Amino acid sequence: MEPVVLAPVEPVTGTWHSPMQVDPFNVPLEEKVAMLMEATRRMQSIDGLAFGEGGIDLFRRRTFLATSEGTSIEQTTVQSGAGIEATALGDGELQRRSFPNSFRGHISAAGWEHIQKLGLIEEAERTATEAVELLSAKECPSEVTTLVLDSGQVELQIHESIGHPVELDRVLGMEEAYAGSSFVRPEDRGSLRYASPLVSITADASLAGGLGSFGWDDEGVPAQRVPILVDGVFENFISSRETASVLGLTSSGAMRADGWAHYPLIRMTNISIEPREGSLADIIGDTDDGVFMSTNTSWSIDDHRVNFQFGCEIAWRIEKGRLTTMYRNPNYTGITTEFWGSCDAVGGREDWTLWGTPNCGKGQPGQVARVGHGASPSRFRNVQLGVRG
Amino acid sequence: MTGLIGPEEVRRVADAALSLPRADGVEVLFMHEWGGLTRFASSSIHQSTHREDTGIRVRVVSEGRIGVAASNDFSLEGARRAAESALEMATVVAPDALFPGLAPPVPTPRAPRVRRGGGRDHALRTRRVRRATRRDVPGGFHRRRRVRDARERGRDRQHRWTVLLGAVLAGLRDDGRDRPDGGSGFAEVFAAGRGELDPAAVGKRAADKAVASRSPRDSTRPLHGRPGAGAVSTLVGFLAWVGFGGRSLHEGRSCFSGKQGEQVASPIVTIYDDALSEGTLGLPFDFEGVPRSRVDLIGDGVFLSGVYDLRTAKQAGTTTTGHALPPPNPEGPFPLNLFMAPGEASLQDMIASTDHGLLVTRFHYTNIVHPVESTITGHDAGWHVPDRGRGDRPSGQEPAVHPVHHRGAPGHPDGGSRHRARERVLLLGQPRPRPQGLVVQLQRAFGPLTA
Repeated sequence: MEPVVLAPVEPVTGTWHSPMQVDPFNVPLEEKVAMLMEATRRMQSIDGLAFGEGGIDLFRRRTFLATSEGTSIEQTTVQSGAGIEATALGDGELQRRSFPNSFRGHISAAGWEHIQKLGLIEEAERTATEAVELLSAKECPSEVTTLVLDSGQVELQIHESIGHPVELDRVLGMEEAYAGSSFVRPEDRGSLRYASPLVSITADASLAGGLGSFGWDDEGVPAQRVPILVDGVFENFISSRETASVLGLTSSGAMRADGWAHYPLIRMTNISIEPREGSLADIIGDTDDGVFMSTNTSWSIDDHRVNFQFGCEIAWRIEKGRLTTMYRNPNYTGITTEFWGSCDAVGGREDWTLWGTPNCGKGQPGQVARVGHGASPSRFRNVQLGVRG
Repeated sequence: MTGLIGPEEVRRVADAALSLPRADGVEVLFMHEWGGLTRFASSSIHQSTHREDTGIRVRVVSEGRIGVAASNDFSLEGARRAAESALEMATVVAPDALFPGLAPPVPTPRAPRVRRGGGRDHALRTRRVRRATRRDVPGGFHRRRRVRDARERGRDRQHRWTVLLGAVLAGLRDDGRDRPDGGSGFAEVFAAGRGELDPAAVGKRAADKAVASRSPRDSTRPLHGRPGAGAVSTLVGFLAWVGFGGRSLHEGRSCFSGKQGEQVASPIVTIYDDALSEGTLGLPFDFEGVPRSRVDLIGDGVFLSGVYDLRTAKQAGTTTTGHALPPPNPEGPFPLNLFMAPGEASLQDMIASTDHGLLVTRFHYTNIVHPVESTITGHDAGWHVPDRGRGDRPSGQEPAVHPVHHRGAPGHPDGGSRHRARERVLLLGQPRPRPQGLVVQLQRAFGPLTA
């Protein structure tokens, strides 16, 4: 058995706190409940809605790391988020719409000011109306066509088909028995054409507002900005001190535990697509025929992160640059590098959103990480839609 | 080695919460858990851990309003603060018209499978597995002991158990990117005590699967699948999420809503939940303190019943079945000890009676697509069952099957993948009629298996 070699890191003493304007834990409970009650009341005012639900997610964690190498770090992160969900039932059908995103909404490393900007109350009626309309919408057709994804779904696409495959512990087989492995290999750095030249992906633990932001990771490695894909070519893994040393590298600073009782694992930080040009409206306007999908609802990908199938809450036909027919139960499938290779539009900064993913599972015993993904709406050509049983 | 926290100490801490003033009712759930895990890959241990945790969860009732708070501060002050937080939460919510009250005191049934500790030598188990496989092996063995003590005014419940889990995935090296001949096999074991755990046997099962799945072939025909036992457990488990919960049943979100007494599966399918069975390690009471007993969910393919806690039972006009989860529990009751009754056919019988199909041994990363349609998505690993009489490995105990794999990713000639089948959508609840065994329709997702 070979002894473990840890990539070197300079001992550090320091403190770090995530940015925040208004401490959400100082906001009266009554104010929080009132916001949710009003949002759900407005959803329930829509005829045909079965359930209107809302939630606020507030998270504060204080950590202290001390090592025999001399590191002494204290860090505090505060994260705030909220979301609403409308469910419509009818004739053996269930349809759901979420705002601003599914699975607990939109969470940011910020204070109460983030939640106040979300617009839960203002968007409640539209969210509920779409859920009801989906009951009578057409099923998403099964076809190969152009696919436009909103930034929320691009977030999921990045997470599953880029973020996880570049975790170096997966690549080295350490997670193969449970979470799976990766099709990416150590020798692929600098050569693997992973995506089209429009796609550049960066892991940035120093990004303000990201759930994957920190001063140092749980091995005391400083937060870094690491290029993962540069103009579509794979460049770097995310790594720990132990795994980086296997390749003769230094750690990318991605070793994180979800709590005091768990062993740190390689986890995503904030893995984002770099914005290009144009808004979502520009991309749709530039599409002659295709389908626009919004808001993730299901996901599955194989244990080497090659084949995937993802579903969204809602879709619309794009005809000559305009949204027309609404579709329910939309989904699509693809092969990771083939799909990213077909990307021919990435939206600009105006529609780029730094989303929070608070439910990333990995490890044994299972850990749930909170990670971030910046994403712009994007377009993909020749995608298989409408996978049906 | 951690020792049990005695009932007197638990009671002392719980009393700090139970004595909360201004509350109409208080319930304290205490959990004590510790366990070790040894994980290994490439025949080396890369993670070896031990942890211990205690926690209390307090549910407070005040004027029909419910609040819940949890803490891992197992002290008098921690319990008191948790109770006060729960009361604060209760004050801002509307009264719950469906709140049925806390569970009344009743005798707790005896659980049959409480075992002594699971042994401490993780490295020894790892060595045994490695000897059995003689391959690069990722996997892990996990030992866990828990004590749970649910208390509330007027009654106590407590239980302890030990769980040993072992899982091994034996991977064989392939010959490089251009020749993906490597195979992989997964095996796991679940035991109540160390005497029931045979790491070498688990490793050998995984290694045998890996050897059998070498040199996967491609198939070009649409296939229907026959899941193996491991894969079937995933499918049955997902019925718990999309079908059996009392709340989703009552609210119309379940695939079985309004279908009580209807044929929802093949007549050979019988599914039940039984925490007290010898085949599981369930608690004899649920997280409200209600005694558990067997609940028949699907009998001969007919949907019979869901599972309920006190609140959803009141909502649905029935009685609790003892399936409450720890509060707060917005999803409602859940069956944690599902069984599918065995049929009469062996796996070999099913393969022999299949003209053309796919033997699925394991699903990976399954997820719910549509709960009412009971559609889930996932990825399968298994073996192609070729046309009858044309199998190329029919000898001995080996099934007359050969492994298949999906097409690889562009940019990699073989995709770097040894997955043995493309993903497909699974449609539950509409099994094809077959005389024996479980047949879950495994519908083609997006075309035939291709290279």
